[in-house]
Amino acid sequence: MSSEELLRLTGVARTVELPDGDDLHILTSVDLLVRRGDHVGIVGRSGTGKSTLLNLLGLLDRPTGGTLEWAGRNVTDISGRQAARIRGRDVGFVFQQFNLLPGRTALENVMAPLLYASGKEFWQRRRIAAAMLDQVGLGDRLDAMPQFLSGGEQQRIAIARALVRRPTVVLADEPTGALDVETGAMVMKLLDQATYESGAALITITHDQNVAALARRRFRLAEGRLHPLAEEAAV
Amino acid sequence: MRAAAARVATGLAASTVEAWQELRIHKLRVLLSLVGVAVAVASITATVAAGQIAKQMFTESYETEGRPAHISISAYDDRNGMPLSVERVRPAFQTVAERFGVTYASARISAFDIKATTAGSSKRVELMGVDPAYAAIHRVVVPQGRWLEESDKESLSPALVVDETFLKKLGLQGTPLPTSVDLRGQGMSVTATIVGVTSMRGYGTPRAFMLADSLVHWQTGAPTDAGYEMWVPVEGADELAGEINAAMRAELPGLQVDAYRDDYMAWGGEDPIGPIKWVIIGIAGIILLLGALSLLNIALVTIQQRIREIGIRRSFGATTGRVFFSVMMESVVATVVAGLVGVLLAVAAVKNPLVEKYVLQGIDDVPPFPLSAAFLGLAVALAVGALAGILPAMIAARVKIIDAIRF
Ligand SMILES: Nc1ncnc2c1ncn2[C@@H]1O[C@H](COP(=O)(O)OP(=O)(O)O)[C@@H](O)[C@H]1O
Ligand SMILES: [Mg+2]
Repeated sequence: MSSEELLRLTGVARTVELPDGDDLHILTSVDLLVRRGDHVGIVGRSGTGKSTLLNLLGLLDRPTGGTLEWAGRNVTDISGRQAARIRGRDVGFVFQQFNLLPGRTALENVMAPLLYASGKEFWQRRRIAAAMLDQVGLGDRLDAMPQFLSGGEQQRIAIARALVRRPTVVLADEPTGALDVETGAMVMKLLDQATYESGAALITITHDQNVAALARRRFRLAEGRLHPLAEEAAV
Repeated sequence: MRAAAARVATGLAASTVEAWQELRIHKLRVLLSLVGVAVAVASITATVAAGQIAKQMFTESYETEGRPAHISISAYDDRNGMPLSVERVRPAFQTVAERFGVTYASARISAFDIKATTAGSSKRVELMGVDPAYAAIHRVVVPQGRWLEESDKESLSPALVVDETFLKKLGLQGTPLPTSVDLRGQGMSVTATIVGVTSMRGYGTPRAFMLADSLVHWQTGAPTDAGYEMWVPVEGADELAGEINAAMRAELPGLQVDAYRDDYMAWGGEDPIGPIKWVIIGIAGIILLLGALSLLNIALVTIQQRIREIGIRRSFGATTGRVFFSVMMESVVATVVAGLVGVLLAVAAVKNPLVEKYVLQGIDDVPPFPLSAAFLGLAVALAVGALAGILPAMIAARVKIIDAIRF
C-alpha cells in the first residue's frame, strides 16, 4: 500500500511573467516522488516558491515545464474540469489563513466539500461532516461561527474540512503560520495523526523547522529546486 | 446515463444549498430588494388572474345570450312592421335550417301575461316556447331533473323547465319532480308538468320554458312575438347569416326577413379589462426591473468580497461551470421565493372574501384562481432572477484560483 506511487514531479518548472515583461523563474526544476501514506515536509524561506509548488501539486496551477503525474497518469496539461474532478476527490487543502467560509457554521464549512460530491457522500453530508468534526475534537461546536472560535479551533475545522472526502493527499501550506507555538504544535500533531489514520499522504510546507521535523521525509526548497535534508539523503 | 443524471440532480440540489446559505448571510439587503420583486409579481399575477376571471365571467354571461356564432332571425310584414305569425314563419325557418344542415336551431316564442298557480301561490311568469336545441345554444344547465325533449310534445300535460326564481316564488322549493302547475292567461289554460330546474341566473321574474310545439298547441290564437336562432360554427358564420337571410326571403316572398350574427365575439367583447390590464402590467414591469437592478447591485458588490471564497470552493473541486451556476442560483432562488410570496399575495387579494363580496357582488359562482396566472408569475420571477444573476455569475466564473487564495 505505502509503496504505491501517488505523485511524481520530474523537472517541474514554474515561470511567471512580471508586469514589466520580465520572466520570474520561481521553480526551475523540482523532482519529487510521493507515495500513498507518505508524510513529506518541505521547508523554505519566505518567497522561495513554496506556495507555488503546493498549487502545482494540488492542480490549482499548471507547470510551465517538466511533467506532473498523478497515480501514473500525466496531468501536466489536463483540462480545468478534469483537474477540478481530481481535486474534489483526491486532494484536501489546509491553508495558513484557515480560509474558512465566512458566515457559515463549523458544520456547514466541513459540509461544503461534500456539496461537490454525489450520491451517498452528498445526501449524508451532515452526518459525515459531524463525525469528522468529532474526530478533530469539535463535536460540541457544530453550530459555532468560525469568527468566534480561536485560531487553533479554526484550523481544526479546516483540517476536518480537508479530510472530509477522504482524500489520498492532504496539502498543508504553512498550517501553523497563524498560530502560537504551542497551539501550532498541537494542530500539527492532530494533522499528522488524522492523515495517518485516514491513510492519506500529507505534504506540509512551512518555514518552521520544528514543524517540518514531524515529517518522515524532509526537503528544503531553495533556488527553485528541492534539496533532500539529512535523513532523506540517507534513505 | 443514470450516474450522469444523479450528478446533475445532486449538482442542482447542492447549488441551491450554496445559494441559500449565501442569501442567508446577506438577508437584510436581499430582503429589501425582494420586496419589490414580490410586489411586482403579485400585481402581475393578480392582474392577469383578475383579467382571466373577469373574461370567463363575461364570457359565461354573454354565452347565455347565445354562444358564438349565434345567428338571430326575425321576420315581419314590411307594410305595417307587424311580426308574422308563428304558423307562417316557423315552417320556413325549419326548412331553411334543415337545408343548411344546422344542428342547433330553435324558435323563441314569448307568451306574456301568463299566470302560474300552485296550491300555495299564484305569480305572473315569463313563458317561452323553444326547441330542444335551445339548451345547447344558450349553455343551459339543468342540475335538477332534465331539459325538454322532442318526445315531450306527445304528453297530454306539457313539460315545463323552470328557473330557481320560479320555484322560490311559487313555493315549490323542495318539492320532488315532476310536479304540476296551472298556467293561465292569453288564451291558455293548461296544467303543465315541471320536469327540470335550470341553474340560470335569475332576474326577478319567474321563467319557464316549454316546447314551441306545446306552446302553439295550447295557446289559442297563434302567438306572434317570435324570433328564431341558430348556433353555427364561428368559421364562415357571417357568410352563412347572409345566405340564410336570402333563403328565408325566398321561402317567405314579399315579407321582410332579418338574419344576422349577434354573439359577443361578433362585436368584439374579447377582453373586458384589456387596457387597464396593460397599464398595471407595465407599472409592475418597471417595479420588477428596479427590484432586479438592486439585486444585481448587491450581487456585484458582494462578488468582489467573495472572490476568495470562490477560490476556496474551487479548491474543493468546484468547476467554473458549477461556480457560474451557483452564483446565478443565488438570484434565482431569491426571486423565486419572492415570486412565491407574490403569487400567494395575489391569490389572497383576488380570492379575498371582501373582494368577492363587494367587487363581484351578486355573482354566486366565481371561477377559481387561474393556475396559468400563478405559473406566469413564477416564470416571470425566475426569468428576472436568471437575468440579474448572469453578470455576477460570469465574473465569478472568471476568478483565477491562485489569485483568489493568495495570502
Ligand atoms: N503570479 C505571480 N506573479 C508575480 N509574482 C509571483 C506570482 N506568484 C508568485 N510570485 C512571486 O514568486 C515568489 C514565490 O511566491 P510563493 O510561492 O508565494 O512563495 P512562498 O509561499 O514560498 O512564500 C514570490 O516572490 C512571489 O512574489
Ligand atoms: Mg506561501
